[in-house]
Amino acid sequence: MALTDLCYRCPSCGRDPLDGKGDHAWCGSCGTRIARRRGKLFVSDARHKAHETSASNLVHDIDLHDGFGNGTFRPAPDFLHSARVLVAWRSNERAIRYKGALRGFAETMAPEAPGNIAARRDALSIKTPPAPAGQWSYLELRALQASSSCLHLSLPGDRLVQLRFEVDSPRRWEEMLRALVRDAYRRAGRGAVLEFQPRIEAAAPAPAGRS
Amino acid sequence: MRSDSNARGSNAPAEAAPASPWYPFLRWVARALSVTLVRLDVRGLENVPDSGPCFLIANHQSVLDPILVQGACARPVHSFTKSSQFSSGGFVRWLLLRVNAIPVRRYRVDPQAVRTALRVLERDGVVGIYPEGERSWDGTLQPLRRGTVRLILKAGVPVVPCGVDGSFGAWPRWSRRPSRVRVRVRFGRPLRFARHETRAERNAALDGALEQLNTALARLSGQDAPAHDTRPSAAESLISP
Repeated sequence: MALTDLCYRCPSCGRDPLDGKGDHAWCGSCGTRIARRRGKLFVSDARHKAHETSASNLVHDIDLHDGFGNGTFRPAPDFLHSARVLVAWRSNERAIRYKGALRGFAETMAPEAPGNIAARRDALSIKTPPAPAGQWSYLELRALQASSSCLHLSLPGDRLVQLRFEVDSPRRWEEMLRALVRDAYRRAGRGAVLEFQPRIEAAAPAPAGRS
Repeated sequence: MRSDSNARGSNAPAEAAPASPWYPFLRWVARALSVTLVRLDVRGLENVPDSGPCFLIANHQSVLDPILVQGACARPVHSFTKSSQFSSGGFVRWLLLRVNAIPVRRYRVDPQAVRTALRVLERDGVVGIYPEGERSWDGTLQPLRRGTVRLILKAGVPVVPCGVDGSFGAWPRWSRRPSRVRVRVRFGRPLRFARHETRAERNAALDGALEQLNTALARLSGQDAPAHDTRPSAAESLISP
């Protein structure tokens, strides 16, 4: 993981993606630089005038710039974003015991395979060649969360998939897919989404005709 | 460790949760690590009951949090830990089992984790939970998981809130390097919730309990309490018509 997983877009000009390595990130367009030093975050502009900031301020600033993947080639109007990923599906679960007592269960993941994830306005697809792409509407997602450097999605049929991004930010995908799920639930009249993990849970929609 | 293809079933028997004899030594290691990695300031330990069952809930800013909180707490804590940590096997799994970690499958409701936690409480133990479910990306307090609050309402035992302030600066989730900065760990006075026997009762009490826990964690960690599902997202403007 790196600072660019938090700041995938320039907080000053909105260039997306931001370049960076480790605890440093920089914008090739406006010259803004962000760095973490001694536990603090600093932003400097093109004239190298630096000031301390917070991660929540950076998140706020990058959210001010609309849209995702401004520089992304869009093959279709409803296409939003795509990324290369390493895909691993849950293959099994094993019992975790200590001194003979059952503590719980842990998932076992199959080996990772290179693939691609693509978000459209109404559906999400995951492709791991040569297998055909799987596609799910956002209403079909059971849970989603970025965990460490991966994104985890629960899908119908008790399937769990782990997506490890090769270059993209898992936070970007978490935020984007959450927004898409909220939007899908709203359009389907299924209420406001309350949480996304351990399962997507929505508040019951207000009865029709009541203001 | 045996593989169990039927493990997903929810009818597995609840079994005893033995205490780890390694725990005192590993807690000493955690305390040594804590004062080495950060400038630690712990207060409010007198708020942790000397005996009897209780929950210890803390905000989650960094991978250091369990080391800081369990190192500071005099009583052994059985903490909910993401089950994927156990999948790697080897030393990590060995260690987690000896610090009383309870594996939780976070991508589905996990009845076995609930059973194990209730069994620990039945034995007058302490169950540790990070109710945000994952480390914060930017250090702010995230919405608390509703399932955690339902578990608290089901158990009806005291809840000790613990605020961690500064561990995000010490080691945020997106960084590979820790920094030695000041971290404050504050244990608050126990919150008491009545035991709610039925799911309907728990759902009725859910929002009130959520509010109390949010307020307590926010105050102890020096933050604002988050609202559920209201954080702005850049994606909204792109998607909404």
